[in-house]
Amino acid sequence: MPLSAYLIMSAILFSIGVVGVLIRRSPLVIFMSIELMLNAVNLSFVAFSKFLDTADGQMFVFLVLTVAAAEVVVGLAIIVSIFRTRRTIDVDEMNALRG
Amino acid sequence: MLNLSLWVLLFPLLGFLILGLVGRMMSRAVILTVAWGACGLAFLFATMSFFSMLGTTPASARTVDQVVYTWVNSGSLHITFGQLFDPLSATMLMVVTGVGLLIHIYSAGYMEHDPGFWRFFSFLNFFIFAMVLLVTADNFLFLLVGWALVGLASFLLIGFWYQRQAAVAAAQKALVINVIGDFGLLLAIFLIFNSFGSLNYHDVFGMLGSATAGSATITAICLLLFVACAAKSAQLPLYMWLPDAMEGPTPVSALIHAATMVTAGVYLVARTSPLFEQAPIALNTVAAIGGATALFAATIALFQFDIKRVLAYSTISQLGYMFMSEGVHNYSGGIFHLTTHAYFKALLFLGAGAVIHALSDEQDIRQMGGLRSRLPITFWTFLIAALAISGIPPFAGFWSKDEILSSLLVQATNTGNLWFYILWGTGLLTAALTAFYMFRLLLGIFMGDYRGSEYIHEAPPVMTVPLIVLAVLSVVGGFVGSFGLIGLARWQPLANFLAPLFATVHAPEVSLGWEWTSTALSIGLAVLGILSAWVLYRKGFAYKENRNPLYQLVLHKYYVDEALSLFIVQPVLALGRAATRWLEGGVLDGGSRNLALLLHGTSALLRRLQTGYVRNYALAILLGAVLIIVYYAVRG
Amino acid sequence: MTSTLVIQISFFVLAIASTASALGVIIFKNAVHSALSLILTLLFLALFYLQLGAMFIAIVQILIYAGAIMVLFLFVVTMLAPDASESEVRDPLRWQRIIAGVLGVALVGALSYLLFTGVATQSIVTTAGVNSLSHMVDTRGNIEAFGLALFHGFAFPFEVTSLLIVVAILGALVFGRRT
Repeated sequence: MPLSAYLIMSAILFSIGVVGVLIRRSPLVIFMSIELMLNAVNLSFVAFSKFLDTADGQMFVFLVLTVAAAEVVVGLAIIVSIFRTRRTIDVDEMNALRG
Repeated sequence: MLNLSLWVLLFPLLGFLILGLVGRMMSRAVILTVAWGACGLAFLFATMSFFSMLGTTPASARTVDQVVYTWVNSGSLHITFGQLFDPLSATMLMVVTGVGLLIHIYSAGYMEHDPGFWRFFSFLNFFIFAMVLLVTADNFLFLLVGWALVGLASFLLIGFWYQRQAAVAAAQKALVINVIGDFGLLLAIFLIFNSFGSLNYHDVFGMLGSATAGSATITAICLLLFVACAAKSAQLPLYMWLPDAMEGPTPVSALIHAATMVTAGVYLVARTSPLFEQAPIALNTVAAIGGATALFAATIALFQFDIKRVLAYSTISQLGYMFMSEGVHNYSGGIFHLTTHAYFKALLFLGAGAVIHALSDEQDIRQMGGLRSRLPITFWTFLIAALAISGIPPFAGFWSKDEILSSLLVQATNTGNLWFYILWGTGLLTAALTAFYMFRLLLGIFMGDYRGSEYIHEAPPVMTVPLIVLAVLSVVGGFVGSFGLIGLARWQPLANFLAPLFATVHAPEVSLGWEWTSTALSIGLAVLGILSAWVLYRKGFAYKENRNPLYQLVLHKYYVDEALSLFIVQPVLALGRAATRWLEGGVLDGGSRNLALLLHGTSALLRRLQTGYVRNYALAILLGAVLIIVYYAVRG
Repeated sequence: MTSTLVIQISFFVLAIASTASALGVIIFKNAVHSALSLILTLLFLALFYLQLGAMFIAIVQILIYAGAIMVLFLFVVTMLAPDASESEVRDPLRWQRIIAGVLGVALVGALSYLLFTGVATQSIVTTAGVNSLSHMVDTRGNIEAFGLALFHGFAFPFEVTSLLIVVAILGALVFGRRT
């Protein structure tokens, strides 16, 4: 398979993640969508690694994995503490910025 | 040569600061110690410096420029704070601190019961400080500083009784007109710096030469300087503030509006005489304005009822004499009249103050009369002052006035110009009018029967002693002046003393014959004026309604105030009201209100964008990202 | 069947399957279903990695993502919202769904267009030297090649990663603490 096939696959998954962020109201699902986006990028990294024949892409994937893990840990902690104070986690309720 | 002029400057400043900061908490005795001490030390140091200067020969060594501090040193602009101590500033210092000290002493009695005692003396010290700064500055910039501070001091002192509407209005009037003068001085300074690249007197005068003589720039500088002088010295057409300034306490009138402040203009013309010598047009203007003012003010003084107003107009008139003298190159004559006038005008004001004090603030001549026996010291000193101002020999005013009149006549005969004859005639006529209105005032106050109802008491010694000192000065003060009446070598110590200052002046040759003519005429006219007053007011002042339109015209001071009100004040007020309504209410307020409405409406629309939904913002981010990518895709 | 054909078929099967499961993540109303769908997607991605020869990454993907992170997700989902569904209130931003969909399609389209027409992807030169990945994999084995690359070229980022994880743990502790 050519490189572009994997990249297009990556683009499709990334777009699905973006759309998920935009249409879902549950922060948990939004987080899942973000994970989807990260993984879409990972796919292109691995594909580049394969087609450029260097290990650098895989290194990046490894780092992205750690960052994603850390991000999920902190993000879920934030969601839990928000739920504790507001008894809801609907992102639409978090509208302190409303004009 | 001993030069203590810096201390002369510093002591009044120190006194002002002490009184201004902690005077409120001081007892009267302490206040007087500080105020008298500051002024007295200033006078003492001025005197020491003065006599040290007298002992210095040759005369060229008598000028010292003491640079204290370099303020600005930027490119071609060098401004230093320096003190110029030369015969002219020494003379002025003597007058300012000497007469100032007497008035300080007198005020202790006059202001005894005033709640603003400490404020009054702190202002007096401030005034002395400003005036000393004015006369000792060695460059035009600090001259301007002193000039403006003197204006400020007069504002504070005229408006001293700030609870009185009239006093506040008078103070504002004085300040506004003074600021017109300050503006003229400022423009003149700009022009001077533009043309000479320096503001120091010495540098500027050193650059004058035949090349600059009569140039339009010099003429403009001199005319602008004279605008400043006219405002400060109450010459036509900027004289209006001085009569109104009589709203201040009487010692203030004596200090500021007779003896010292108004002489600043005379001083400035003398100081910048090298410039004026190169601008004959400006010098003729000075003479003409001086003559017109002298006559104009003297006629108004004829029929006033307020004794301080009579004196105020007489001051304006006498200042006119000084400018006439300077206008015909006789600068030392102007300074001479300045000093003698300081003695007898201060005496007149302080005497008037004693009368007002005795009558519990009555100032109307129609409510007086018959005070000769009740206020003997005041009467005799007032009489001396009246004789002095009328130009009766051997009193001080005679010598200085005679000097001026004769130099006017000499100028007329030398040039053969009709206008100078007219000027001389104006001077003579004014002398007669002066004698008349002064004796009208004197007889009205002291002769006849007392018409008022107040309890009368002679002033305390603290007030009468200054009167006596000034009376002595009014008698002997003229002997330092010049006269060549006896046909021998001319006796002119003051003129010789000041001569180094006026080395560039082309004084006309004096002919003794013409001097005698002028002298005889002026004495004769003065006696005529006194006699007419005696005939009319021998029995005291009797007021009669007079419907004569000419009389009414003069009585109402030529309706100048009314005309000003009609043609300047009312239109400006109307303009202001219209501006309030239309410009401010309509254009400015309306404009800003509409602007606010516009912004409010726009923001009401725009804030719809801030929905508070995080997902909306994320959508915006995605939209931007997609647009960027699409842009690259389309661009290829 | 040639191996190329096998690879092509498996690619398309995986592509369709992962796209479908990814759509499931954002379409299912129940957050638990979304999470399970995401796990599926991640597994499909691991298969992609295997196909691309990234054996270590594929294993780590399954271990960390599917094993650790998604368990954490499920744990939080079940803890916060027992029925794990979105609120009954009608979505105030329904119109955004259409726009988001259009923009998503536009994004895919634009990116694909760039991929097919862009110069960058066509001029890739594979450098088959001794340091190349395929050479290392051939001589040392897959995991060892990865480890060598990680600790030779990326030792410092790797160490920084540990710092990042410590910070994340501390952050989670701070947020999770009951005040």
